[in-house]
Amino acid sequence: MSTPSRLGEVMALDRLVHEPARLLILAVLSGAKEVEFGFLEQMSGLSKGNLSSHMSKLEAGGLIEVRKSFRGKRPLTELCITLAGRRALAAYRQQLAMVMQELPDPAASPKRR
Amino acid sequence: MSPDVETRLHELESLTRSYARYSRSAGGMSSVLGGVLCLIAYLGGPLLPATPLTRTVLIAIPAVWLLAKGWMMRHYYQRMGHVEEWETPLERRVHWFCVAVTLLVAVAITASIGMAARQHAWSLPVGMLGYLALVWLLVLAAWRWLRSPLDFIVGTFLFCQAALISAGGFYPLIGTTHTHQAMLMSLVALMFPLVALAMIARGIAEHRQFRELRQRLEHLQGALAGES
Repeated sequence: MSTPSRLGEVMALDRLVHEPARLLILAVLSGAKEVEFGFLEQMSGLSKGNLSSHMSKLEAGGLIEVRKSFRGKRPLTELCITLAGRRALAAYRQQLAMVMQELPDPAASPKRR
Repeated sequence: MSPDVETRLHELESLTRSYARYSRSAGGMSSVLGGVLCLIAYLGGPLLPATPLTRTVLIAIPAVWLLAKGWMMRHYYQRMGHVEEWETPLERRVHWFCVAVTLLVAVAITASIGMAARQHAWSLPVGMLGYLALVWLLVLAAWRWLRSPLDFIVGTFLFCQAALISAGGFYPLIGTTHTHQAMLMSLVALMFPLVALAMIARGIAEHRQFRELRQRLEHLQGALAGES
């Protein structure tokens, strides 16, 4: 593959999904119907603020749904991945796999004299 | 995809999926408790003396189990936060079928008791009112909590036994009855202790799987703490 087309594939990666924290959120949400904020916080190791910021971006992109309610007097935030989110994650995995496949193996490259 | 990224994504998804099982299809020790309570209700009904205390205990068994089930899920199996498991279309259909059956039975029983009560100036003994209440509570329980086939069978038996005890009867033990109808009923009821034993075995296996899952989750959290 030529360098420009490879670059094109890298550029075509969904930036919204490509960010590690957001990728992690989508991966966790894809394993369940609905996830409580606390679980996601512990699984990701992210701070509450950081996690909320990434959640807002994913929600704005239509990849996740965030539901806020109360359990007794305690606020409860539940998240779930949307169909668009599922598709975006699958497409991202496929695209990244293709890019990685095309990259030359550093271990197999000829040694410099 | 980079094998490292792919493995990590797969691991996160799989951990969440395994953890989510304890919201619906896996009960762990609550399944063991359900099985044990089912055996107690099956044997206790016909074998224990019918004192007010034993009757109250046997009638309270389904509520005790459902409360314990909810408590264990929230405070032990899903203490990291509630994660709801995906339901397959088949599981959803089976669940709604079970709810529909309990609803149909509740309607039929209410209608037949109502017709009998009409002939006696709408007077019903307290035990029969308790019976009716438990039959309708079963519909609610089937919809809200009894969402796996084993849970449904054991839960149904616990509610039915409690309802019968409330009305002054119980499911007969096999070999203790002589009438044709009671023998048939005891044969059908024999299914429940067998299902209870299967549920105990399943609960123990699920609890073991949960301990492994907890180790994997702790390992992941340790790795995340190391990275940050």
